[in-house]
Amino acid sequence: MLVVGGGPAGLAAAYRLATRHRTVGGEPPVVAVLEKSREPGAHMLSGAVLDPSALADLMPDWQSRGAPVAVPVTEDRIYFLTERRRIPFPITPPPLRNHGNYVISLNRLVRWLAEQVEAAGVDLFAGFAGAELLYEGDRVVGVRTGDRGVDREGNRKAAFEPGVDIRARVTVLADGVRGNLTKTLVERFGLDDGRLPQVYAVGIKELWEVPSGRLPAGAVIHTMGYPLPHEQFGGGFLYALPDGALSVGFVAGLDYRDPGFDPHTAFQRFKRHPLVADLLAGGEMVRYGAKALPEGGWHAVPRCHVDGALIVGDAAGFLNSMRLKGIHLAMQSGMAAADAALEAVRANDASAERLAQYAALVESGPIRRELHPVRNVHQAFAGGLLPGLLYSGLSLVTGGWWIRDPMPAHAGHTRLRRVAGGEPAAAAVPVDRRLTFDKLTNVHYSGTRHDEDQPSHLLVQDTDICRTRCREEYGNPCTRFCPAAVYEMVDAEAGGQRLQINASNCVHCKTCDIMDPYQIIDWVPPEGGGGPRYEGM
Amino acid sequence: MPMPSSARPPVLVIAEQRAGSLNPVTWETVAAAQVIGGPISVALAGAGLAGAATELASADVSEVLVVEDPALERYTPDGFIAALAQVIERERPGLVLFPHTYQTRDYAPALASRLGRVLIPDCVGATARDGGLVLLRPMFQGKFVAEVAPAGDGPHCVSFQIGAWRADAAARGGAAATRAVPVTIDAAAIRQRPEEPFQEAKQAVDLTQAERIVAVGRGIKGQEHLPLAQELARSLGAELAASRPICDSGWLPMDRQIGSSGQTVSPKLYVALGISGAIQHLVGMKGARTIVAVNKDADAPIFEVADYGIVGDLFEVVPALVAALGE
Repeated sequence: MLVVGGGPAGLAAAYRLATRHRTVGGEPPVVAVLEKSREPGAHMLSGAVLDPSALADLMPDWQSRGAPVAVPVTEDRIYFLTERRRIPFPITPPPLRNHGNYVISLNRLVRWLAEQVEAAGVDLFAGFAGAELLYEGDRVVGVRTGDRGVDREGNRKAAFEPGVDIRARVTVLADGVRGNLTKTLVERFGLDDGRLPQVYAVGIKELWEVPSGRLPAGAVIHTMGYPLPHEQFGGGFLYALPDGALSVGFVAGLDYRDPGFDPHTAFQRFKRHPLVADLLAGGEMVRYGAKALPEGGWHAVPRCHVDGALIVGDAAGFLNSMRLKGIHLAMQSGMAAADAALEAVRANDASAERLAQYAALVESGPIRRELHPVRNVHQAFAGGLLPGLLYSGLSLVTGGWWIRDPMPAHAGHTRLRRVAGGEPAAAAVPVDRRLTFDKLTNVHYSGTRHDEDQPSHLLVQDTDICRTRCREEYGNPCTRFCPAAVYEMVDAEAGGQRLQINASNCVHCKTCDIMDPYQIIDWVPPEGGGGPRYEGM
Repeated sequence: MPMPSSARPPVLVIAEQRAGSLNPVTWETVAAAQVIGGPISVALAGAGLAGAATELASADVSEVLVVEDPALERYTPDGFIAALAQVIERERPGLVLFPHTYQTRDYAPALASRLGRVLIPDCVGATARDGGLVLLRPMFQGKFVAEVAPAGDGPHCVSFQIGAWRADAAARGGAAATRAVPVTIDAAAIRQRPEEPFQEAKQAVDLTQAERIVAVGRGIKGQEHLPLAQELARSLGAELAASRPICDSGWLPMDRQIGSSGQTVSPKLYVALGISGAIQHLVGMKGARTIVAVNKDADAPIFEVADYGIVGDLFEVVPALVAALGE
């Protein structure tokens, strides 16, 4: 059995596969995990507040095994921000009550989980990305890893190593939000037919070390409002860890209308708000990162089983946007997929019909129980903050009922408004390199490394569009929505401008693949091991 | 060590050379032979060996055996096995020592097998025990060290890992005799046809060794303006380097890129022309002793690390600098 992607979903699946025989008997299967980051957990980024229920289901003794889940949430605060002021919510809405949850570093949790998985006998191959799916007819039979040692013109360097074909009876795709393999699988089989289009957001986060006494460990703050206009989805967060470590982040819906919008700039403006600036004053930014997240919810989850393969975690879209949580659902989906896969392999039948048991487990288990009642919440926010909040409140009473269910939705990139010729007004923010940073400086703090001498892993099908149509219609929004300064329009030798792709800056957030208005950017994995190196994120 | 005299068989060290110049690793093997003890000969095979033979004769050994043959001009396993097998059969050493180089790995196992012996490869030390020689050999990726005692009659073939012995520990000062050892090699029996040697990853420039560097950034605007920076580099006796965008555009080769995804340098003088000073660049050059920056933007971060800053257009400043240096 092969799991592609060593995040919470993939590792939960692998651990369950490797240990399930202890409860149901039989021989343990041979399980391998492919992970594109150099070390397990290095591409993991989240807020994060963890609902520990799934971890307890996976590994009842997680506490005695020393899981890095040690800071219980001590208080929840929610503010509505105006440019200078903060208005506390009088009550914390039930979905945002975090009693019993923990403030964690996801990349530490995943690194620990990887150790448990390896100790359970799973082969974990870090530094290898799944480049393409292998098929026999319409059945998925494994994955081909990417070639290594190819130069930027595509020639083989001295240290060339071809990718290897890894064949498996069941392949579990845990390739994360907008996973490159899942994307091709969904397209090939139309797995999203009849489903709502997935809607995404991008989360940008910095880890700070601040003077002691600012916030008690375990304090959780969420904000709405400033710097976003009412019609735009998103908000800020501050999660306090021990020893003055503070996670500061901003989530912006990737269904905004203004092509001049820049999520990174919005984050900088958020940090300049007195609420945040006072907490960060005198502190130091130590890490930076960004990652997209699937917000569409229940109605946007595609069919997750085909002949020989299953889709789990963020790749499938199992995230509760009302609770702002997905790690536990990712793990639940990994476990459900493992159970279905193991039974299928033992019955020597990995057909879609057999693997549909995974869908049944999702339907009958904690995932549907949590996601179905909030199935229309994110769609309601498409109308703006107020309708979103009103519907969210209503759904708590009605169990998610609405006149039109599913509430209709559009893919985020289709909502982008055209600008009438030339540059959209892009809000600038002063960069002092103490509180606020430019993207390039931030990227440095993501620890991102790629070998420069390799082909670009951001495939733009037609760069002519960039300098002609896109420039006219949207003013090249890629130069703004990318939080890592990958895309630049530079003066061309022949006059006019051309697209310059600084692929080695890429933090693997997938925003470009999602938000590009012409859908001509294809994110494919770079040479294995490349990418950010998150630590404590 | 050294070993009792009764256990001192003649030792033959196989030297390595390419195009007549001695591979310095040979001295490590000479040092090993001197510690093991016994009358030492060094065999040098190839063509055009006079210089290397003279160099070897300075070692404190008994003899340097020069095995000259036109067929040995370029290394081939067949040629070297044929030549060295004849030398060993004629000289009858008790021990044959090789440096464990790529070349040794290529032919020594076959040579040992030609002699009806095994090769004890990649040893890291030697010691005496019960009057005999015991070789130390790492096993299981260095987790264990095995002691290997060669049994039976010599010659025993042994190769030593590079770095296991110190080259500068090889005793000199003997005026060793040089003796030509004739061999007959049937050139037609050599099955390999070597081509011109070439270097795959050619490192044209080693910026880390440069004392002065002139680096250009986006302010240079176009490849056609590079000669301006080249002229300044020439005037200063400096190497030309660049920030990432310049190399990414292919205006300069990637081995001239300074910064987190390129080279890290610490020259005495670093002149940054039109480089804004993104942190990715700064980490590659902030160790320079003196930093001179020329940039139009007075707020550019490069001025935070610069010892001398010129706020101005590099297209005016650089010609002025070149003119001043020419005076």
